[in-house]
Amino acid sequence: MFNSLSRRNFLQAGAAAGAAAAMPGFMTRQAHAEAVALNVFAPLPPDPAPPGAAKFSEEAFEKWKAANAATVEYETLAWPQLHDRMATAFASGSSPWDITYNCGWVPEFQSFLTPYADKLPKALVDDLPASSFSTVTVDGKRYGTIFTLSLLTLFYNKEHLEMAGFKAPPKNWDEFKTYGKELTRDGRHGLVLNYGDPAGIGGTASYWMVFLQQAGGKMYGEDGLPIFKSEQGVAALQMMVDMMPSTDPGSISYASINDATNVLLSGRASMMMNWPFMWNAGNDPNQSQVVGKLASAVLPAGPAGSASIDGTDAWTITKSSKNPEKAQQLIEFYLDADVQKRQVLDTGWLPIRLSVLADPEVQAKAPNAAVVLEQAKHPYDSFVTPDYNQVTVAVGTEVQKALQGQKTAAQAIADAHDAVTAIVKRRG
Amino acid sequence: MVFVAPAMIVLAAILGFPIVDSILLALQHVQLTGGAVSQSWVGLENFQRLFADPVFWKAALNTSYFSVMEVILVTLISLGVALLLNHPMGKSGFFRILLIIPWAIAPVANAVLWKWILNANYGVLNGILKSLGIIDYYQVWLGTPFSALNFLLIVDVWKSVPFVALLMLAGLQRVPQSLYRAAYMDGAGPLQSFLHVTLPTIRGVIAIAIVLQTIWSLRVFDLVFVLTRGGPADATALLNFLAYRVTFNFLDLGYGSAIANVIFAVTFILAGLYVWLLWPRQPGASR
Repeated sequence: MFNSLSRRNFLQAGAAAGAAAAMPGFMTRQAHAEAVALNVFAPLPPDPAPPGAAKFSEEAFEKWKAANAATVEYETLAWPQLHDRMATAFASGSSPWDITYNCGWVPEFQSFLTPYADKLPKALVDDLPASSFSTVTVDGKRYGTIFTLSLLTLFYNKEHLEMAGFKAPPKNWDEFKTYGKELTRDGRHGLVLNYGDPAGIGGTASYWMVFLQQAGGKMYGEDGLPIFKSEQGVAALQMMVDMMPSTDPGSISYASINDATNVLLSGRASMMMNWPFMWNAGNDPNQSQVVGKLASAVLPAGPAGSASIDGTDAWTITKSSKNPEKAQQLIEFYLDADVQKRQVLDTGWLPIRLSVLADPEVQAKAPNAAVVLEQAKHPYDSFVTPDYNQVTVAVGTEVQKALQGQKTAAQAIADAHDAVTAIVKRRG
Repeated sequence: MVFVAPAMIVLAAILGFPIVDSILLALQHVQLTGGAVSQSWVGLENFQRLFADPVFWKAALNTSYFSVMEVILVTLISLGVALLLNHPMGKSGFFRILLIIPWAIAPVANAVLWKWILNANYGVLNGILKSLGIIDYYQVWLGTPFSALNFLLIVDVWKSVPFVALLMLAGLQRVPQSLYRAAYMDGAGPLQSFLHVTLPTIRGVIAIAIVLQTIWSLRVFDLVFVLTRGGPADATALLNFLAYRVTFNFLDLGYGSAIANVIFAVTFILAGLYVWLLWPRQPGASR
């Protein structure tokens, strides 16, 4: 062999060895041949984040990764930045994720997503509320799976209500107004909300949508055009305007629900509409001054009864995913009964699985779960459309004008209706 | 020419391509609505739409007010600060370091800091004013259109003053002391010296500060995004924020680009003015 070692052979052998060494994982390729790398785009806690991004089911998550020969990389952002990050990535054609969080944006991003939820195991689907698929279904195809039962309900300070002589939470609009008035005393306000940001789920417009449904109204007709310039639309806004004297005046400046939540948890307000996750925060002495004083109830009924909106927190799989099957398996892991149980026990975000919601341990730790289930018996349409952000900015801005007395409720609704009609027609 | 060609190509790629692409986008109907990217040429339709859009005009009005007031306030306050720092008692490095702090804070951190200072329930500003007896109850500083826009202005002035003050301080330090001595010999008092010696000598620096500050005030985004999201009722929607909202929030890329191009055009004109002010001239030529 040595006799045949020429300079050319030596260089060729050296080049081959160098090229092989430069290839990543050359020596270990066999061992990792089955490994799959998944990228997940998720919100930062305290918003609903999955195991590995939030502190729950960490051991089970490690076991899942080992059993499935998968690695999972998370990209997490604060909730208000999620939509725009996704929009930019999809528009540029450089979406790096297999799984993305979605919140009312499925119709908007639908053609970048795969309708995997039609292939979920029957046992899992049967354990989910059928209505939970409404906001993730486009043209009859299911593009996502809701992973937390997240409806707005009424949170209130029991002690404040008792001091004002109320033994039960308000049940209808008239009581809501009376309670608000009576609870506004001693430097406190009856109600606090975040009216500062008009857009999106949990923005100013979405609160009006709650009252709209309680009044018996709807956003859109069968032809997709707005129909809220109605008695119900105006009554809904007038109710919000009527509540303003007993609403924390800072509400109009709170752009995030966390700003408003802080006011309730400090005992400076007595009632607010909020998402179920607040139960844990409200009973955590590190975050709350009203530990043990908080209770929740179904939202007060308007002329048509109670109603709410859906948080629509869902997991979706992108069309660009190279491993959609493994991505679906990971979503099924997120929806596993044990993981769902730890989700509510450790983070406060309720499960979506009916069997977990019925679990006695879950009901003991999250007594508000029963209230959310009761709320779910009433309408909770979030009216998501492909131009949801634009619509909510148009409506929310007009609602803000009415809340500040710049316009009457009727004028604000008429102007919002015109603006939304133009948006829908431009969409075509 | 051959040697600078690579740098020119890189510059063209980094600066030129986005500008040209943005102009082309503004001439198209580009939307991701429904998830699909659709593009079609619409000529000047997006610019025509601007004229009929009340939100654009509101943002333009807000931006004009914001820019004019910001330039006036920053220039006057910075000049005052620079004069104090140029005084023998203000020459300590401590004051200059103290001055630079607002400028050194990261923009978003600055906005978050002010969000808490102005909070309607826990804000330091409310606490101080109430303890001094100036207000009877806590105010919602960001709650009304007029107040919200002016507090954004105050916050941006606070952040902008240090750099402009240092710029003016550099100008003041270049004023020959012999001019002051000559003015003194001619019987000029402090005010006359300031009006007839200081101001004419640093006129160029003031002009540059005004142009730069105008450009910067057109670019304000972080404060609006963190503090008010354009609210209440679009009262603090400035053009830069509107361009962002339309482009990335509404995904109306063509119309968003049209708004961005308006900002670009105004900035470009101001930048031209800035270059004109700085351009070397023959001795004796007027500026």
